[in-house]
Amino acid sequence: MATPVHLETEVSLIDALKRGDSAAYETAVREYSSGMLAVARFYLDPSSAEEIVQDCWVTVIDAVQKFEGRSGLKTWLHRIVANRCKNRLRTANREVPTEFSESLEPELANRFNAKGRWNLPPQLQFHDSADTLMENGALSDCLDKHLSALPETQRSALMLYEAHQRKSEDVCNILDVSASNLRVLLHRARQKIFLMVETFQETGEC
Amino acid sequence: MLMCRDLATIASDYIDGELSGRQNLSVKMHLLMCRDCQTFIGNLRASSELMNAHSSRKLSNEFLRRIDERVARALAEKKSENQNQS
Repeated sequence: MATPVHLETEVSLIDALKRGDSAAYETAVREYSSGMLAVARFYLDPSSAEEIVQDCWVTVIDAVQKFEGRSGLKTWLHRIVANRCKNRLRTANREVPTEFSESLEPELANRFNAKGRWNLPPQLQFHDSADTLMENGALSDCLDKHLSALPETQRSALMLYEAHQRKSEDVCNILDVSASNLRVLLHRARQKIFLMVETFQETGEC
Repeated sequence: MLMCRDLATIASDYIDGELSGRQNLSVKMHLLMCRDCQTFIGNLRASSELMNAHSSRKLSNEFLRRIDERVARALAEKKSENQNQS
């Protein structure tokens, strides 16, 4: 995982990008491309998304001259990607997760009694840190399997929030989803991951 | 009073700091008394971190190299344009 770019470093990185420093571009490409790809995947199929991210970096060479730092570099890059994708799509026919009227996953909701207390509480604690858990190849494959079962738009929104943009407001702006939709979406997806890891830890099976 | 089921419903908002002060306080009070919900919140937080680790996995070197090449070409073109102008 790339080291996060801190504010001071970001300012000098932006200066170097404005000067056309090729090493600075290589650093920035490695730091920001995965988030940009998450944005693009919200709108487009995988190969068009990669193409858009490449095109965006070329655009950045000129556009960065006008970058005034009102938003962070990352958010600015995400907006460029989102705008390009929207232009390509014109009418975005994205799936808004309207089927998620309930915040609780049915499988989890069934684990409470009529009074709202746990009937079947979580038995195990997920002791290992995320990095250690990810080193378990079987678990990582299982996670891939469960994630790919989610609709593309939901998965990308989730990835963007979890790994790249922790501010709901920014994610909503970049992806044009409502705040309440995003909250439900995140919670439902996390519960699915929770249930998946629990089953995996208890049975060793995906 | 906040029940376990209610807490599970708003657990992500709690983790992300999106609850109002009053809601946040009632979650904290409940967690003081309820070990099962402590485990649930801890595990849900771990699930969120797992997503984070999973999403930031490295991009393919080939994809990054392709971007490097296109950027390098565009930078070189720009440089020669600027030289021609001056």
